[in-house]
Amino acid sequence: MSREKTIKNRKEITVNKLKGLGETIIDEINQNNVPALKVPSRGTSNIIYDEDKRYYVLGDRYGKRSLGNVKQVPKLAQMVYVANFCKDLVKRGKTATLREMYYVSEGWDVDFGDQQESNIVGEDLEVTLGTTREDLGLMPEEDGASVYGNLIMQEDDVEINALKLGKSGYTISPTIDDVKFVDHGVERVIAVETMGMFHRLVQENAYKKFNTLIVGLKGQAARATRRFLKRVNQELNLPVYICNDGDPWGFHIAMVIISGSAKLAHVNHDLATPDAKFLGVTASDIINYDLPTDPLKDIDVLRLKELSKDPRYRDEQWQMEIKKMLKIGKKAEQQSFSKYGLEYVVDTYLPEKLNAM
Amino acid sequence: MVEREAAELFEEFKELTASEFFRRNKQMLGFTGKIRSLTMVFHELITNSLDACEEAGIQPELTIDLKRLDKDHYILKHTDNGPGIPEDYIGRVYCTMFAGSKFRNIQSRGQQGLGCSGCVLLSQMTTGKPSKVVSGYYDGTKLKGVELTFKMDVKKNQGLILDRKEVDLTKTGVSIELHYKDVSYSLSEQGAFEYIRRTMIANPHAKIKFRDPTGQIFIFDRATDIIPPLPKEVLPHPRGVTADDLIFMAKHTDKRRFRSLLTSSLSRMSTKRVNEIEKETGIDLNKRPKDMTWEEAERIVELFTRMDFMAPPTSGLIPIGKEQIENGMREILNPEFISTTTRKPKTYRGGVAFVIEAGISYGGGSGRLIGEQKKSEIMRFANRVPLTFDQGSCAITEALKSIDWKRYGIKDLENSPITVFVNIVSTQVPYLSTGKQSISPEPEILHEVRQATMKIARSLQKYIRAQKAAKEAALRSKIFESLVPVIIREAAVLAETDVPEYDSVLAKVTRRAKFENLELESEGEDE
Repeated sequence: MSREKTIKNRKEITVNKLKGLGETIIDEINQNNVPALKVPSRGTSNIIYDEDKRYYVLGDRYGKRSLGNVKQVPKLAQMVYVANFCKDLVKRGKTATLREMYYVSEGWDVDFGDQQESNIVGEDLEVTLGTTREDLGLMPEEDGASVYGNLIMQEDDVEINALKLGKSGYTISPTIDDVKFVDHGVERVIAVETMGMFHRLVQENAYKKFNTLIVGLKGQAARATRRFLKRVNQELNLPVYICNDGDPWGFHIAMVIISGSAKLAHVNHDLATPDAKFLGVTASDIINYDLPTDPLKDIDVLRLKELSKDPRYRDEQWQMEIKKMLKIGKKAEQQSFSKYGLEYVVDTYLPEKLNAM
Repeated sequence: MVEREAAELFEEFKELTASEFFRRNKQMLGFTGKIRSLTMVFHELITNSLDACEEAGIQPELTIDLKRLDKDHYILKHTDNGPGIPEDYIGRVYCTMFAGSKFRNIQSRGQQGLGCSGCVLLSQMTTGKPSKVVSGYYDGTKLKGVELTFKMDVKKNQGLILDRKEVDLTKTGVSIELHYKDVSYSLSEQGAFEYIRRTMIANPHAKIKFRDPTGQIFIFDRATDIIPPLPKEVLPHPRGVTADDLIFMAKHTDKRRFRSLLTSSLSRMSTKRVNEIEKETGIDLNKRPKDMTWEEAERIVELFTRMDFMAPPTSGLIPIGKEQIENGMREILNPEFISTTTRKPKTYRGGVAFVIEAGISYGGGSGRLIGEQKKSEIMRFANRVPLTFDQGSCAITEALKSIDWKRYGIKDLENSPITVFVNIVSTQVPYLSTGKQSISPEPEILHEVRQATMKIARSLQKYIRAQKAAKEAALRSKIFESLVPVIIREAAVLAETDVPEYDSVLAKVTRRAKFENLELESEGEDE
């Protein structure tokens, strides 16, 4: 299926799902029943790690939004309003941020206490319909990561070449699903945690050397970034490598890209890239490359212990690295390779690590 | 050094009269502090007027006028519609300390005879000005009116008439005019105004017209026309007397034998009991009362504590009654809800009968407004007299504090619009101090106050609960009525169809809401 068609299809499906929600209620009324919607529960006890899919999914438990329950009635009203708002957005091909929706809701016949409440109703709608927020036209505030490399995309009528947008590259838009991949000339994707490392790789011509796309994550990857990585991995069949700081936080940035987050269990099927690989910096790297380090803080140790119990880190390799880091009691930043000169990371470290994969 | 002779030394020794004693120790009359002093004056005058009216079977109507001449300088004019005081007695009532009989074991508003003369004394001490009394009274069938201006001769403990006028009056009653300095009129809980307000609650048969120093007139109308019956004098119970009491009785009796003195002066004292006493103590009870020694009296009193007596008679106790308390509280507080109770008589220290009455009111004018916040208030009374001071050490406060108010649906008593009324009725109220402002925490009294209050608190709890449920039910219905049409309208827009007929579904959910409004809240909720 062409991307064009996929996009059109996704929109159609979303509109139909929203319409179906309204029909469920009207049908019940016509049959003289008290309508109730089933909203999958997002409580911790209903978030399950799916071994086969290798990411978190929602379990079978759900809560009810019944027209006959005084506490649920306001939520039901909010949900139907948000659904209409989203249907209108999708139909008109527009998007709005959650904050914009919150302000639009001022004119509605039902109140939101605060924006947090309207965000939750947005999520309710996502899980109930099994669709992403982006599909509903609701956009996050923040942009995604920076991409540099030979990738040609089309957004509406504009063709974009991620190699020709200056040294900072292409910024992934929250509407990444509306972007078509037209062509590319790369073999892989390397995502790095910091923009410092991103610029290092650009300057050292890593995109040429490794024939790769360079993605600067800017810390924890935004939803749009994760969606982008998933799409290049699936649609373009490109292997994805992640290179972060050598500490529990760097580990977890990589893991959320690979296996998704618990909080977004209901959309992980669109966001997780289970085949993405964590390149480093590992505890072994710290030892093997004799990197300059900082001692682990209490909070680092605590986090490492948490990770060691997390099902996403069940893999032997991960367990070994976590243990090793706890043992040496040290962490290292990506940029610590510059101890051996600025070029070292591109000339020596990355080739060695990519070879080993 | 020349030794002084005893006679010389004793030249300086003078006997203090009661008036002179209290002039030197005015705090013993309760006159401490500017606010308290004025409140005590109000207390003495009001109490006296109410007692006088009730004894004469008159519905009390008092007019009190407090004028401020200067900072801390007031003129108080207090008028009642009582039977008046015959001219010959005016001096004694207002100028002699301890006028009155000590051994009337009767439920009274409870003065030691210091009351009115104390007020005159304080006036004279602070201003040096004479006092003025106008009294209208019947001499036979003739209405007489007299106006006396007098001072108190402290050394002689009697009045010194400065001026006397006969006046024409149309009705009986007493009007007294007193000057005061070093006192202060206050709207606080301890102030004179609050004292009047509380008096009205416990005395719903009275009417008081009060003009405050700013000229504002408050009329506290009577909430009932029923004048409380006069308490009957009852003989003291053996457990309630001391050796001193026995000696006093022996001195003042007309009985010839001690035996007959005992049976005629004490309740529950049968011949059988007197014989027992004679046998146990070996004292000859046929001797003349005045031959009774202190040591013998002590032995008899000690024996009383070990003997079995019937509980004291309770016929002398006249409670306000739950209906009248309700009337009083309604009139003054205009509350949303009220509950009152009068307990059955009980005894403390084995021999003194008492009755506890309590009322609780909620909402309306209940509680005290402090800033923006309604605070609860506790009104303590002994024989209908408000107790305004020494709240902390009082049995009533202690008992109320020991109640777990949360059990009665009152989460924070202190910050609730609640007035709690407690009255103790007794021929002998066990006061903690001479100021007569707090009740001794006798275990039986604490128990009774708790029981009475908990009973009415339960009624209040029911009311608050019903209120809350009704409010919630209304709120729920409102939510359904406003949101169900919105949901169906929006759902129809979403489904791109017409709005269906939904009256019966709406009826279904609102009706259900009314039935299920006490259902568990968490039902059907997300975790």
